Amino acid sequence: MKFRSLIIKNIFRNKSRSILAIIGIAIGAAAILGLGLVTDSLASSTQQALTAGAADFSVLPSSFGGHGSGGGFGGGSGGGFGGSSAFNGSSGATFVSAGQTIDQSTLNSIQQMPGVETAAGVLRSATELNGTTQPLTLLGIDSQDLSLDDVQITNGSAFTSSNQIILGSTAATGLNKTIGDQLTFDNQTFIVVGIYETGDFMSDRGAILSLSTLQNLTNTTGVSQILVKASNGTSPTSLSSQITQNYTNLTTSTSLSGFNRMNNGIQIIESGSWAITLIALLVAGVMVVATMMKSVSDRTREIGVLKAVGWNKRRILALIIGESMILASIATVIGLIIGVGAVEVLISSHILNGIHIALSLNLVLEAVGVALFLGVVGGIYPAYRASRLAPTEALRYE
Amino acid sequence: MNDENIVKIENLIKRYDHAGVIALDGINLEIKKGEFVSIMGPSGSGKSTLLNMIGALDQADEGSIQVSGQNLMEKKDFSFFRSKEIGFIFQLHNLIPNLTASENVQIPMLQTNNSDEEMVKRATELLGSVNLGNRVDQVPTKLSGGERQRIAIARALVNHPSIILADEPTGALDSKMGDIILELLREIHEKENMTLILVTHEEYVAKKADRIISMMDGKITSENCTL
Repeated sequence: MKFRSLIIKNIFRNKSRSILAIIGIAIGAAAILGLGLVTDSLASSTQQALTAGAADFSVLPSSFGGHGSGGGFGGGSGGGFGGSSAFNGSSGATFVSAGQTIDQSTLNSIQQMPGVETAAGVLRSATELNGTTQPLTLLGIDSQDLSLDDVQITNGSAFTSSNQIILGSTAATGLNKTIGDQLTFDNQTFIVVGIYETGDFMSDRGAILSLSTLQNLTNTTGVSQILVKASNGTSPTSLSSQITQNYTNLTTSTSLSGFNRMNNGIQIIESGSWAITLIALLVAGVMVVATMMKSVSDRTREIGVLKAVGWNKRRILALIIGESMILASIATVIGLIIGVGAVEVLISSHILNGIHIALSLNLVLEAVGVALFLGVVGGIYPAYRASRLAPTEALRYE
Repeated sequence: MNDENIVKIENLIKRYDHAGVIALDGINLEIKKGEFVSIMGPSGSGKSTLLNMIGALDQADEGSIQVSGQNLMEKKDFSFFRSKEIGFIFQLHNLIPNLTASENVQIPMLQTNNSDEEMVKRATELLGSVNLGNRVDQVPTKLSGGERQRIAIARALVNHPSIILADEPTGALDSKMGDIILELLREIHEKENMTLILVTHEEYVAKKADRIISMMDGKITSENCTL
C-alpha cells in the first residue's frame, strides 16, 4: 500500500465530513473565480464600451482663445491663431472659427508617435445657410475617423465626396432636412447623405463634412484639435503627458479625467469583489479547519496507534495535510466549474446584460492557488495537534 | 531464551502530578531476550504504565530503563525505535476500518523504506501465519473479534520487532477465542524466539507465560516462574 493510497482512502472514509469540507473550499474557489470573472468582465466590457472607437483624448492648442503669431486661420507654427473671429470663406460666406488651429506638420508628427494608434485632425467652424440667418456649426473630419468623435450614423451613410454632408439629428429636424435633400452655404450646395447622433446636444445641432472640404471653405490648412487613440498596451495618460511635454504649445483635453473616473469606478468594483471574496474565503477557511479538526478528533485513538507502531510526527503531519490538500484539490475543480457556470448562467439569463466573459489564466491560477493555500493552511493546525498528541493519551481516548 | 537482558529497569519512578499519583514507584526489572513474561495486577496497579515505558510511549521521571540497548530516559523522539524494535498489540484491535486486513498489516511498514511489493508480500505471509490467508482483502468490519485481533498480531510482527508488547490482548474476546489468541502468541514467541511481554489482570492468562510479575500500587509485589 502506498502512503498516498492511505490518504485518499481516509478522505472517503467519512463521506459527509469530506463533502462538507469540499463544499467549503469550493465556495471559496467559486467566489474567487466567479466574482473575479464578473469584475474582470465588467471592467473589460465597461472599458470596451467607453472606449470603443472613441478617442482616448484630444489635443488642443494650449493658448486656446488667445492670439497666435500667424493671425487668421491656418498656417503658423503649431497652431496659435486668433480666437473666435468672423472671416469670409472662399466664396464670400461668413465663417466663424472655433479658435486657434494646429498645423498639419504637428498633426503628422503626432500621428507618427509611438503608442499612437490613430490621430485624426478635426476642424471646427460655423456658418450661416444661404438666404437665412440660421447658424450651423460645422465639423470637418475624414469619414473613416468619425467614430473617434463618437459619431453614430443613424440613417444613411457617411460622406464619400466633397459635395456630401451629414447632418446632426437635431439640425436635420430643425432644418426639416432628410437624406437626399440639399443644403447650401458659401454658395455651395451639399447633398445630405446621412443623419448622425453623438449624444451631445451641441454636436447634434451641426453638420459634418470632410476635413479637406471644410479647410478649403475656411481657407485654412490646420485643424482645431486632434483626436488621439492610444494603441493597445499604451497608457493614454502617459501618451498624453508625452505629447504635452513634446509640444509645449499644445494641451490635452479633459476626456482623460473621464478615463480616470472609469478606472476609479473599476477599482471600486474590484475592491467590492475582493471584500466579498474575503468573506467567502473566511467561511471556507473556517469550514476546512473545523472539518479537519473533527477528523483528527474522531481519529485520536487511531493516531495514537499510528504513533505506537512507529510513525513519526512528520508522517502524521503529512497524512493530515495530505488529506486536506486532496480535499482542496477536488474542491478547487468543483469550485472552478461552479464559478464559471454561475457566471455563464447569470449572463445567459440576462441578469448580467452586456457583459462579455473575460476568463484569464491569471484568474484561474489565482483561484486554484488560493483554494490550495486554504486547504494547506486549514490542515496545518489540526495536523500539528495530531502530531503533538501523546501516544498514551491518544490510546486512552474514547 | 538466552541470558542477555533485553529489558533492564532500575528504580523507575513515574508520577502523574496532576492527579497526585505515583504510577510506578521504584520498579526494578530485568527481562531476558526471548522470554515470555506476564505482568499481572488489578486496575491502577501500574502494569499498563510499565508496558508503555518499555514501549517508549511514555517517559519515566526517575530511574533508568534500557530496552534493546536503547536508553529510554533520553529526551528524544523514539518513533524509529518503536518502529524497529517494538510490536504493540492492544486490547481493542485498533484497526483502520476502511482498510483491508493486508493494508492494516502494512501500516507500520509505511514508515520504512520497503517497496509496495515487499509490503504486500510480507502482509500476505503474516496473515497466512495467523490463519487469515483467505481474509487478506477483507475489511475489519466484516471479520470476527478474534480475526481482528489476529490481524493486529500480524501488524505487530510486520517490522520484525525484537519485543512484542500485548496489553490485555484477550480482554475483549470470549474465553475460547482468548485461548486461541494466547496459543497463537505463544506459538509465535517460540517460533520466532521473540520476547513477549503480556499485561493482564486475569490469572489464567498470566499463567501462559514463563514468568509472572505481579504489581500493586505501582510496585512489583512478586515474581513467579511458572515453568
